[in-house]
Amino acid sequence: MAFATRATAVVGVGYSTIHRETGVDSRPLAVTAAKQAIGDAGLTTADIDGIFEYPGQGTQIAVEMQRMLGIRDLAVFGDNSPSGPSGLAAAQNAVMAVASGACETALVFRSVTREWGQQSGKSEFPPADGPDQFLAPYGDYGAVIPSMGMRKYRRFVDFGGSEEDYGHIAVNARRWSALNDRAVLRTPITMDDYLSSRYIAEPLRLFDCDYPVTGACATVITSTERAADLRRKPVVVDAMAQGTGSRPSWSFADDLVFGGTIDCGNRLWERSSVTPQDVKVAELYDGFTHITISWVEALGLCGIGEFGDWVDGGRTIGPGGRLPLNTNGGQLAEGRLHGLSFLNEAVLQLREECGDRQVAGADVAVVANAHGPQCGAMVLTS
Amino acid sequence: MTDKQAPVPDRYSAFYWENAARGRLAVQACEECGQVQFPPNAVCESCQSQSLTARPVSGRATLYAMTVIRQAFHPAWKDSLPYVIAQVQLDDAPGIRIQTNIVQADPADLKAGDPLEVVYEQRGDVTVPQFRPTQKNGT
Repeated sequence: MAFATRATAVVGVGYSTIHRETGVDSRPLAVTAAKQAIGDAGLTTADIDGIFEYPGQGTQIAVEMQRMLGIRDLAVFGDNSPSGPSGLAAAQNAVMAVASGACETALVFRSVTREWGQQSGKSEFPPADGPDQFLAPYGDYGAVIPSMGMRKYRRFVDFGGSEEDYGHIAVNARRWSALNDRAVLRTPITMDDYLSSRYIAEPLRLFDCDYPVTGACATVITSTERAADLRRKPVVVDAMAQGTGSRPSWSFADDLVFGGTIDCGNRLWERSSVTPQDVKVAELYDGFTHITISWVEALGLCGIGEFGDWVDGGRTIGPGGRLPLNTNGGQLAEGRLHGLSFLNEAVLQLREECGDRQVAGADVAVVANAHGPQCGAMVLTS
Repeated sequence: MTDKQAPVPDRYSAFYWENAARGRLAVQACEECGQVQFPPNAVCESCQSQSLTARPVSGRATLYAMTVIRQAFHPAWKDSLPYVIAQVQLDDAPGIRIQTNIVQADPADLKAGDPLEVVYEQRGDVTVPQFRPTQKNGT
């Protein structure tokens, strides 16, 4: 038979060191993370017959990783387009490849440098053509920073709420990162620190933005059948979904505040064997705090517009809370590894390997990436 | 001194900037189904017709969302800080928003729902539509 339909599991995770150095080649970082993930699974590079990465830049592509790892051939590979849900896009491609039988065991990686993540200090700009002709002439620079400022503004218009709602995400990140040796920012911050952090694109504050770092993470995905024989407790991919929202665009979508998160969230639960009420830990993208709040609501962890009440002064999402959120400190504090780190942290939680930050009884996790037209999410179970 | 960037029109957007140069605002509309869309595209995003035309609009708009830029990510905008980027809904083209600057206003005085009107800024040989709060005595 040419195609399979089979369940998949995450069987290995790996990281390079994460730091703030500049001028670093991202490829050896990716190799370090990949080797660690493969070893974590109890596999060798010879077992890898699929490689997926996001987003296909320069020499940091799937077949370059293959070459560096000395893998003779690949059954399937892909450099997922930058229009997908950041690092999770590559993991979702890997899930599809394994589920369909295109490969047996897929390696996924995302490797970033601090320079890549940083928006300030740029001196060269491409011509204002294509969609940019309607943005750049108005001083819309810094990637999605102005658009995130407008999302935060419009959320207040539509739902009320306060800056403290956003502050709870930022404060929460440091509460958790204090328990994560890998995190780059581990000093706790207070709500006053958040509310006095400077405006970048008012009402968007500095502490609404994640922290550019240099580092890599990697993930190994295979069939549940194969996973049963491997080193770690398998973490099953219960469901996955993507979503774009109507008239997809970071700037000119129909739904500025939520982008595609609601469509993606609805699709995810239609496919899942569990419900939002079953989720024990949530790892939701926090490139900007607005994104995390969108996902909490879009995934039905609380009602639309109800985040402020639900978060209960931060108690809901912190250590010991009803729904621990971003238990690695997220990109706000662990550092901007760009997506895949949320999946890896969920896997470590479901394997109960998180030490001081372990969520008791974590058997269902939800992971989500990106916003706007690039949404993706997964449910994982142990 | 780096200049603020001028838009680079293409075959689909040329009408937009040509109209702006004449002090007019126009948006792309489908001749088949009447759909209005922004930014301009190669086909109608509703019926896929390629018969698209420039539909003049009044230039009256309503403020939908805004942000006050406090850090310049392009050196040409450093001297303009703080400045307002906003999305506005055109009063006579419901269903679309365009992005713009709000000028001639204290950012603290602006809020969603405010009535706005178009003004034009000359940027080299290109004219850029911007918006300001509606003046009580008209323009």
